[in-house]
Amino acid sequence: MDKSRGRRFLDAVNVPLVMWTIALLVYGTVMVASATSGMTDGSGMLLRHVLGVVVGLVPLVLAWVFDYTRLRGWQGPLIALAAVLLISPRIPGLGYTAGGATSWLSLFGVRLFQPSEPAKLIFIVVVATVVSSFKGRIDQPGQVLKVLAYVAGALGLILLQPDLGTGLVFIAIALVMLLVGGMKGRYFAYAALAGVLLTVAVLQLGLLAQYQEDRLLVFIEPERDPAGAGYNLAQSKIAIGSGGLIGKGLGAGTQSNLHFIPARHTDFIFSVLGEELGFLGAILLLGLYLALLVTALAISTSSRDLYGALIAAGVIGMWLFQVLENVGMTVGMMPITGIPLPFMSFGSSSMVTNLGAVGLLLSVWSRRYGT
Amino acid sequence: MSTYRQELKSRFAALGIVIVVVLSVLLVRLWTMQVLGADAFAALAENNRVREISLEAPRGRIYDRNGVELVINRSALAISVDPAHEEVAALLTRARNEDTADDPTRGELDAIFGELAGMLEMTPSEVFERVSDVRQEALRPRVVAVDAPMEVVAQLLERQVDFPWVRVEELAVREYPHGSIASHLLGYTGAISEQQFQSSDVYAGYELGDTVGKTGAELQYEGVLQGDKGWRRIEVNASGRPQGVVGEQPPRPGNDIQLTIDIEVQRVAEEQLAAALAEARRQGYDKAKAGSVVVLDIETGEVLAMASAPTYDPAAFIGGISTVEWESLNEKSSEYPLNNRAVMAAYPPASTFKVITGLAGLEAGITYENKTYRCTGRWTEMGTQWPKWCWKRTGHGTLTFRSGMENSCDTVFYEIGYEFYKRKLEELQAEARAFGLGTKTGIDLPGEVAGRIPDAEWKKEFNRNYPEYQMWLPGDTVNMSIGQGDVLTSPLQMATVYAGLANDGVVMRPHILKAVLDSEGLPARTVEPEVFADTGASEESLGVIERSLVDVTREGTAQGAFAGLGVTVAGKTGTAEVKGKDDYAWFCAYAPVDTPRYAVAVIVEQGGHGGSVAGPAARNILAKLFGKPIKTVRATDVSR
Repeated sequence: MDKSRGRRFLDAVNVPLVMWTIALLVYGTVMVASATSGMTDGSGMLLRHVLGVVVGLVPLVLAWVFDYTRLRGWQGPLIALAAVLLISPRIPGLGYTAGGATSWLSLFGVRLFQPSEPAKLIFIVVVATVVSSFKGRIDQPGQVLKVLAYVAGALGLILLQPDLGTGLVFIAIALVMLLVGGMKGRYFAYAALAGVLLTVAVLQLGLLAQYQEDRLLVFIEPERDPAGAGYNLAQSKIAIGSGGLIGKGLGAGTQSNLHFIPARHTDFIFSVLGEELGFLGAILLLGLYLALLVTALAISTSSRDLYGALIAAGVIGMWLFQVLENVGMTVGMMPITGIPLPFMSFGSSSMVTNLGAVGLLLSVWSRRYGT
Repeated sequence: MSTYRQELKSRFAALGIVIVVVLSVLLVRLWTMQVLGADAFAALAENNRVREISLEAPRGRIYDRNGVELVINRSALAISVDPAHEEVAALLTRARNEDTADDPTRGELDAIFGELAGMLEMTPSEVFERVSDVRQEALRPRVVAVDAPMEVVAQLLERQVDFPWVRVEELAVREYPHGSIASHLLGYTGAISEQQFQSSDVYAGYELGDTVGKTGAELQYEGVLQGDKGWRRIEVNASGRPQGVVGEQPPRPGNDIQLTIDIEVQRVAEEQLAAALAEARRQGYDKAKAGSVVVLDIETGEVLAMASAPTYDPAAFIGGISTVEWESLNEKSSEYPLNNRAVMAAYPPASTFKVITGLAGLEAGITYENKTYRCTGRWTEMGTQWPKWCWKRTGHGTLTFRSGMENSCDTVFYEIGYEFYKRKLEELQAEARAFGLGTKTGIDLPGEVAGRIPDAEWKKEFNRNYPEYQMWLPGDTVNMSIGQGDVLTSPLQMATVYAGLANDGVVMRPHILKAVLDSEGLPARTVEPEVFADTGASEESLGVIERSLVDVTREGTAQGAFAGLGVTVAGKTGTAEVKGKDDYAWFCAYAPVDTPRYAVAVIVEQGGHGGSVAGPAARNILAKLFGKPIKTVRATDVSR
């Protein structure tokens, strides 16, 4: 292969992926700017958001230049790292509790980051190693159980915090990877059945914290408690619905500016978008996600090996589920959980993680021809 | 490599489908909310964002005929309890629950309201009673006390943490510069009642808890005084904190009204009524506690004064009256001070009715000025088994019709009445009705009674369950001829009769409204005089009656009361017999005789004699009207 440097660089860069990512980052920054404009430290928060993007470039570049195939050999240390990350908030003196979950790592009371965010990427890499060992054919219950063991392990640690939403992300990641990894159709049917049974069991046995149960039940029956747990959902729906076709205009959302929308710059950023930019703004966002996910799918398809395809599939699973869950909860289709909207929500942990995921995709893409 | 890709192809296709399906589902959902349901959600958002508060319209003020303020508005600091506050709401839910066993106990009320009650010098249950008032809009703060001492208000504001359910608000309330004077005529205000709220016409657009007129002019002219509420739309944030005003519609204040009464005459009327009651009690009529005075302008029907005793203080209703106070105002022993006896009560008119009998007799040709009668004290024309007595048991001897009126001789009027009975034409009733008796005068005050002019048909209907009492008997007409029996008239009606006599037999409709004023204080609508009844009585007959009535105040039954007044008065005493009660004292008059201007009616319930109790009151009221000195008159007349 005799190629010019420029040509080699362009080969290494997936231009659409970078383009869609930048578009989402710009869109997100604009929305965060609008959502935080009325806050006491609005400009400071916007600066922190942009800083998160800049910091996220570090894992992006590192993951990109690093040959992902070499990650295979680090299975043990990676599992250990993920476990440490997930347990860390429970270590006395390091945890920070917000919204009923101790999912933050803190030092001297200052929130640093949510370790479960980077743990998602490690989980993707670890599961990719396991699933790729099945050589693209999963037809033995033992194979499924092996993957389930990893999922259960991660879930167990996450539910210690407890952070139900993040736990669901891990399940979604695993499911997509199992699909690409060649799991037979009937296992998906079993998984669906098991999921329903598990949900019922969890509710019946009272394993959830009260606030989680409330949120779930309110999701099923929103009028149950309009001023309490249902309030967030009701206000979010009012915001989005009242946005109409073209929205009330950037910065002109009454639901947002008058504080009716809870966590409007983080988990409920889509409510602000829906209210201020309307259905057209929502189409633009979902269109960008479609473009991003299709690009990621193309990268997965282009991978020279199953391992790379699985890593890309894991990233797709992560993003797709987070979009479904986050947008879904704001319109009352999904229960309310604290899952951020990729590239849009304020919050550096998820920003850094998502940019890291882009780095992983670029790493897979740039090594698609292999040697 | 290509075979591996081949295997994966369907899986990637599946994942692609999943991606498209997930995003499509979200898109469809957003379509239904943002495009199909946009209007409904927009309304919800607007509702969220904007709070509308209604701006009370200042109630119209009330002036007397000379522009003197009778009822005005002022702002008062009210201490209210928020019924929606958690702690209070819980108590209210239990109190309203059917299950009485669940009602809040005294201890519980004491625990919550004890301290506040102490500061306001109330009991905890009194506080709770006001809080649980159902006549208010559910979420409106309940006024517990108005005009609480400033230090209490300051303390409550400072200690908001201890009393999170207490609100201090500014309230527009009525003020009565003259205290309880004319309270029956003016009426009081209060929270709109359930019945008022339900009735659609006058109270359309009202809200529960609105202040409305309850009696008197306040009720009669509610639609004029009320005005239109305004509103202010305020943008609020999620915590309900106001962010700014979005829109405002200022209230339209109610119209001021001007009444026909003269506050100075009214004051004298009330003082004289009180003096008459005191005089009656001095004379040994211990049960004299109630009475009424009406003063009319005979040419226009304007009410110059209207008093009713006992009276009440309309200020007691500001901010809502307490149950205890309300009950005390409605107890039998209180003699019902809220009732305006001038229009709401009907009494036997007694001898004051003799002007009707006399006029009817003159018009029918049954009698004439100098016709002579013989009074032995006992009258047996209807048969010895049914003797009737003149009030003067020893008899008046021989006297004319004119002196019969002067001395209020019953025998003379028995004779006339008996003659009417024999003619069977019910001419006496016709004369009474010609003056408007037996029907409401139509005065612009609520609760007026029609009184009663009995006749054969009425008696038959009245006793429909007692056939033996259905027949109209000679005694019925004879009793009626001296204003006893079944005749009933209100003090206002008797005043209109005498006004009619003075006004050449034409009775003007009595009214209390002089004008409705516009925002500049100029008359927007003036009430024009209106004929209520035209008796058609001849000048000649009216002349005879007038001369006889002048004799009454000069030499007759009221000479003691009117001695030295300096104005010629045509008047008549009356002493009504009411079964089981002391006699009711009446006096009706008009003056001056040459160019009549005013008619007065005074009644003192269980006050004894008209001449010595009611007469002096009428005398001093006329003295006030004509600018003559008011004197304490101790008349000794014991005639009827």
